[in-house]
Amino acid sequence: MTADVWMTGLGMLAALAPVGLFVLVGGTALLGRQLQERTLSRAALWTNSIGLTAALCVLGLMLISGSRNVPIEFGNIVEIRDLHFHFHLKFVFDRLSVPFVIMTYLLCGTIGAFASRYLHRESGFGRFFLCYAVFLLGMIVSTLAGTIETLFAGWELVGLSSALLVAFFHDRPAPVRNGLRVWTVYRFADAAFLMAAIALHHVTGEGDFAGMMGHGSWPVGTAALTTLQIWWVGPLLLIAAAGKSALIPFSGWLPRAMEGPTPSSAVFYGALSVHLGAFLLLRVSPILDASFGLSFLVTLLGLATAAFAALTSRVQTDIKSTLAFASLSQVGVIVAEIGCGFRYLALVHIVGHACLRTLQLLRAPSMLRDHAALENALGSRVTQHQGWWDVLLPEPWKERLYRLALERGFLDVALDEYVAQPILSVFRCCDRWERAWTDFLAGDRMLESDRVPVAPEVVEELQ
Amino acid sequence: MALMTEIAPGAPAPDPTAAGAELSDRLRQRIERVAELLPAQGPITAFAFVNTLQALENLPFDEGLKRGSFLYKCQPYLSEDRYRQELARGRIRQEDLVEVLINDLRNDADSLVGRLGTRFHLRLAMLEHPLRLAPAAELRWVIAETDALMRFRPEARPKIRAELLRETRRWLLEEYLCGEPLHFSGARAVVEQLLNRFGRPDRTEWSAARWEEFCLNLLWEVCRQGVHGAPPAPEHHNAWPRPRDVLLELTGEDPDLRVHEVLIRFCAVYLDQGQADWPLATNSRRLWEAFQQYYSQTRALTPRWMRPLAEELRQLAAAGMEPLDVIADVLREFGVASAQQDEFLAVTLLALRGWAGMIWQMETRPDRVPFPVEPGTLIEFLAIRLLLDRLAAKSIAAHRLGDRGPLRDLKSRHAGKLTPHHGHNLEQRAFLVFQLAQVRGWHPDFLLELSKSEWRELVREIDAFSGIERRRIYHHAYELSYQSAALDAIQVRTQHPPLAPANPKFQAVFCLDAREESFRRHLEDVEPLAETFGNAGFFNVPMQYRGANDAHYSTLCPIVVRPQHWVVEDVAFTEEEHHRRRALIRRTFGSATRSFQVGTRSFASGAVLSAGVGVLASIPMVMSVLFPRLTSRLQSSARRWMAPPLATRLRLQRVTETPGPNNGGIGLTLAEMVAMGERALRDTGMTRRFARLVFILGHGSECLNNPHKSAYDCGACSGNPGGPNARALASILNNVPVRAQLASNGIEIPGETVFIGGLHNTCSDTIEYFDLDLLPFSHIEDFRHAKDKLEQACARNAHERCRRFHSAPAQLTVGEAVRIVQQRAEDLAETRPEYGNCTNALCVVGRRGRTRGLYLDRRSFLMSYDPEQDDEEFTILGRILGAVVPVCSGINLQYTLSHIDSPGWGCGTKLPHNVTSLLGVMDGAASDLRPGLPWQGVDIHEPMRLTFVIESVPEAVRKIMSRSVSVRQIIKNAWVHLALMDPATGALSVYRNDEFVPYQPRTSSLPQVGSWESWYSGCREHLGFALNAAVTSTETP
Repeated sequence: MTADVWMTGLGMLAALAPVGLFVLVGGTALLGRQLQERTLSRAALWTNSIGLTAALCVLGLMLISGSRNVPIEFGNIVEIRDLHFHFHLKFVFDRLSVPFVIMTYLLCGTIGAFASRYLHRESGFGRFFLCYAVFLLGMIVSTLAGTIETLFAGWELVGLSSALLVAFFHDRPAPVRNGLRVWTVYRFADAAFLMAAIALHHVTGEGDFAGMMGHGSWPVGTAALTTLQIWWVGPLLLIAAAGKSALIPFSGWLPRAMEGPTPSSAVFYGALSVHLGAFLLLRVSPILDASFGLSFLVTLLGLATAAFAALTSRVQTDIKSTLAFASLSQVGVIVAEIGCGFRYLALVHIVGHACLRTLQLLRAPSMLRDHAALENALGSRVTQHQGWWDVLLPEPWKERLYRLALERGFLDVALDEYVAQPILSVFRCCDRWERAWTDFLAGDRMLESDRVPVAPEVVEELQ
Repeated sequence: MALMTEIAPGAPAPDPTAAGAELSDRLRQRIERVAELLPAQGPITAFAFVNTLQALENLPFDEGLKRGSFLYKCQPYLSEDRYRQELARGRIRQEDLVEVLINDLRNDADSLVGRLGTRFHLRLAMLEHPLRLAPAAELRWVIAETDALMRFRPEARPKIRAELLRETRRWLLEEYLCGEPLHFSGARAVVEQLLNRFGRPDRTEWSAARWEEFCLNLLWEVCRQGVHGAPPAPEHHNAWPRPRDVLLELTGEDPDLRVHEVLIRFCAVYLDQGQADWPLATNSRRLWEAFQQYYSQTRALTPRWMRPLAEELRQLAAAGMEPLDVIADVLREFGVASAQQDEFLAVTLLALRGWAGMIWQMETRPDRVPFPVEPGTLIEFLAIRLLLDRLAAKSIAAHRLGDRGPLRDLKSRHAGKLTPHHGHNLEQRAFLVFQLAQVRGWHPDFLLELSKSEWRELVREIDAFSGIERRRIYHHAYELSYQSAALDAIQVRTQHPPLAPANPKFQAVFCLDAREESFRRHLEDVEPLAETFGNAGFFNVPMQYRGANDAHYSTLCPIVVRPQHWVVEDVAFTEEEHHRRRALIRRTFGSATRSFQVGTRSFASGAVLSAGVGVLASIPMVMSVLFPRLTSRLQSSARRWMAPPLATRLRLQRVTETPGPNNGGIGLTLAEMVAMGERALRDTGMTRRFARLVFILGHGSECLNNPHKSAYDCGACSGNPGGPNARALASILNNVPVRAQLASNGIEIPGETVFIGGLHNTCSDTIEYFDLDLLPFSHIEDFRHAKDKLEQACARNAHERCRRFHSAPAQLTVGEAVRIVQQRAEDLAETRPEYGNCTNALCVVGRRGRTRGLYLDRRSFLMSYDPEQDDEEFTILGRILGAVVPVCSGINLQYTLSHIDSPGWGCGTKLPHNVTSLLGVMDGAASDLRPGLPWQGVDIHEPMRLTFVIESVPEAVRKIMSRSVSVRQIIKNAWVHLALMDPATGALSVYRNDEFVPYQPRTSSLPQVGSWESWYSGCREHLGFALNAAVTSTETP
């Protein structure tokens, strides 16, 4: 009995440690107080140490007690019976979430320590740690989530903080533009996720994974859905996962996310949030088990992404894009593994890949030094690495492949021209009608903002 | 045309007519001239410290800066607020501001501006009090919603406020209401309206606040009336030079965004020096042809604006059009008149200046990169850029403006919608006068009496002293305040006798680098019998050098020199076998690392590696972030068993006649060695009084995670560590035949003198010595003693440096400081491992004895020069200045401009930097290449021009200026300040307006300190000058 109490207590600590950091950083920011760099970095380090220790203790207790599924219930936070609406907060420690939580704390803790020195005397120091706290909270909430709505909440926090971190240097246009792009893709994926969550509620009456997947602890479980329901929910979840993990056709945002400070690029896009889509698929894996077609689709998407990203990574000339696509190719492989049903393999793969890629991204600014050291060791210029296709493929094909890789599969162009443009045209058309109508009614040009020049006025021009 | 076909013989050439050939030749020259404006920064691995505005050095400093800031769209000076803060905290002295203003106005200082006082007073008021100005809409808001018309500005002095109120009250009650006539016809209506608003009947009972409000409202209305009708400021001659500028102004959409996305991607793969695993493969190495090959096929998924490109390229190819023809064609289509072409080409090239500049560097200095590009590539780049510009402009004009007409008339078609940026509107002008009236105490009735012409004059006067002009004056005052403090200090120091030990225990030659100033100061402190010298850090041994462990030669001399000598480091013959084995281990380990790196990025092996051993990566990651020192120690001990053997020699003696990079050509002939050795000695004045040990210490910086590492290395060695040069010079001077020759040339080096080369690591403050195995037994005790002193100096130097690191505690022991600087060198997360030459402000060329014992705060370059040993033509000083003036001013202006506008002139913050093509860094995912220094390297810099203090006579400098164009331009156009110290008397004179005028010191005393530590300890800011007690105690030599 005491073991259970301990387990619950430690579990709550592991789950809620980031709340403390968030309240501290966000609260002081709200009050207009600027925390010192030292205070912030210590708070981040402590949060991660406490969370990590608690998670390790939970793991130890789980191993000792033999329990493989420890739920922590908070009950319904919101409940409106008339509308059949409820928000059920529940955390679960099981074979899937525990490794993820440990990895998250380990990586975030390291990055926190790294960033506190890397961002020293940067004006956005506090802002960075605020986003960092939100991100950490979001990661922990979504990995420990026991209900789909909890997962969604964490998922949203991760998305928000990621987009803000991409746009961290908001005084330049490119980060803001790319942050907006990431945000747009995330919203698209979120919409799919939300629809899936509602559909699940509709079908099973609750969002609890335990209810949906049967009561076995992960990865054992049977989906409590019919084939038709699976084909309704499954693709939506797949879109959500694809958006978050930058699978085809959403891959274009991942290299664009490398706008923030190096540590945030490293841990967020290289290691953690890019795996969140794969995590979602793992979490709902019983659904995949129940449908061969869906599994096949997942595998296909994973393999296609992996092949595309591995190819694209090879032609990139900047270190961060190279690593972004390299990262994506492994995410693709992981998704394919999930599709094939290798759950544990995928889990091991995620953890290993996250650690490896974070290290590589942290070392990215040393690239020139490492390259020189390598050339000195080899005693010559580094020759371009020949892959098997270099030997096997005929020339025209190679050229075509190269072009495909250099243009990043034309995915961004395709999304812009065939998805964004049509939607924009529809809305612009509506806007025109509305203006024409209001102008007609008012007998005048209605929108004052139309008359403001688009270019900002320059008070003092350089002569 | 003729030249183009020469370059690419395979290219189809149209039959060139003579006129056409001449035209395109002129165009080519034009482009090449404009290309000089591009950043002169080659690959980042060999950081070149040159003046960012080198191409404009033919203009006077302020004009060059103005022109540069217009072309580069960067700030020329700090912000006015920043200067005003400096004024408030005393960094800019009020007297200096006044002096600069008076000097600037010369004879106009006392000319009257109407009845509003002198021009000097008006300008001073504009300088002293912040003049707020906002865009028109914001200004309307300020007037309507803030207390601008209710309360006086906080800067208005109480006396002036009271007088303004009193005067307004008197005028209203005693004159206006008594029916006195008004000068302005429209004024009565305004006053009446105000009176009605404020309540005419109870005017005598208005509260003080109400009077204040009335006074300000009246003042505001009067100002508005007054400025009405003043002529608008002249418009800039050619706003919106490119169609892109017009479209951006009209639509808010930037065509460059689209163009740059394509250009950046293609330039990166085209210029790649081996970073991508899969390089661009094209049939031709020419950029133009590669682009044609790549983009001339129509593809389904092309952005809409680019779709006509393929067809266009095919047509160009069919017509045999060469890049220059394309450029001429686009210029015609854009309607760029011949007179505007220079400017148009300049702004077009500068729009993506990082990449364009890199192409130009790779084209003109092919020796600086492994894979250079062919001549003419910049022209090809420009042709491609203009093609894309045209497409993007057409597309945006068509889709956003519905305008499909020719681009040449785009501006005139939309002239109505283009509002000129220049000059302020009525309210803005009125607001300026309104603010000035409050601080100068111009009461409303006085302003009411001004005539139209007086108002016009006032407005013109205010317009003439615009923000940029005010910042210029501030900047000069900012420089003057430091400069006069520095000259005062040096003047005080010259009143004490020079300090030079008669029988030095050992001597040490350093780089003239500002970082070595503190090191030398501490060394002289721990060993008063030591003597130090400064010389350019390549020690006059320009060479291509390859270490025993290196794969390639690196260039160890200033960037402008192309060395004709090759030197390699050989492993001692006895260690040959050992070396071979180690090299094999390194090679094996290297290829394994490489395979691993490539493997983790690929599909299948990536999966195996990351799933299999990926978790293990968490160990080095956590270790290196949390325990950087421990990790570094473990790494270096692991590396020890594959390091090359320690016993090595430089191969200095050449056997064949012609130098070359291979076997026989390596090394120098005896004559060359003698020439180099002699010059190194004569330049520094080291021709007698040799000590038993002479150290020659180059410097370099070893730090992690820093693409800009080379900017911390020796600038005189093209951004490489200067250790090999020091070692080479020491070996040369130890060479017996060389010494014999030198003796016959008049430099007698005693037999007991031994030269030792070394490398000072400026980041971790450690020294590595070379060829110690050759040290004679007789000198070992001397060496032990000197080494001990040098180590003490290192530790103290580290301690002094730590005061600048905000992350280091303010109070710490020397031991802690050593640990901190060493940890910074090894920390993966450290963005400021050291500060390089940051804060440099001074350059002293003269005998060290004259400045020894003076605290210069690591801000001074110190070049040794003995005027007594120079000839009548000042040959030695001539060659010193020929190198030192461009190099030091280049370093200084690079830091200064990078600080003034960090994202503009510099490369912004380091945090999002992304190494690209092994050539440079981009901001984030994709951007222009960023030359210049990062903010983390310049944040503590004080942006000022360098002040040279040369121990010589005016005649010498004049002679040298007449001989050397670059020295003349830099000094005459005031890109540096210059002061001379008389070799005999020590009196200072300053160079102003082409004249040397005696310097009038402002103080005759300096703080005296017992130890340097007591002076700098606990202070993080820039420190003033101080004298060591040792100087004053040796009053009688």
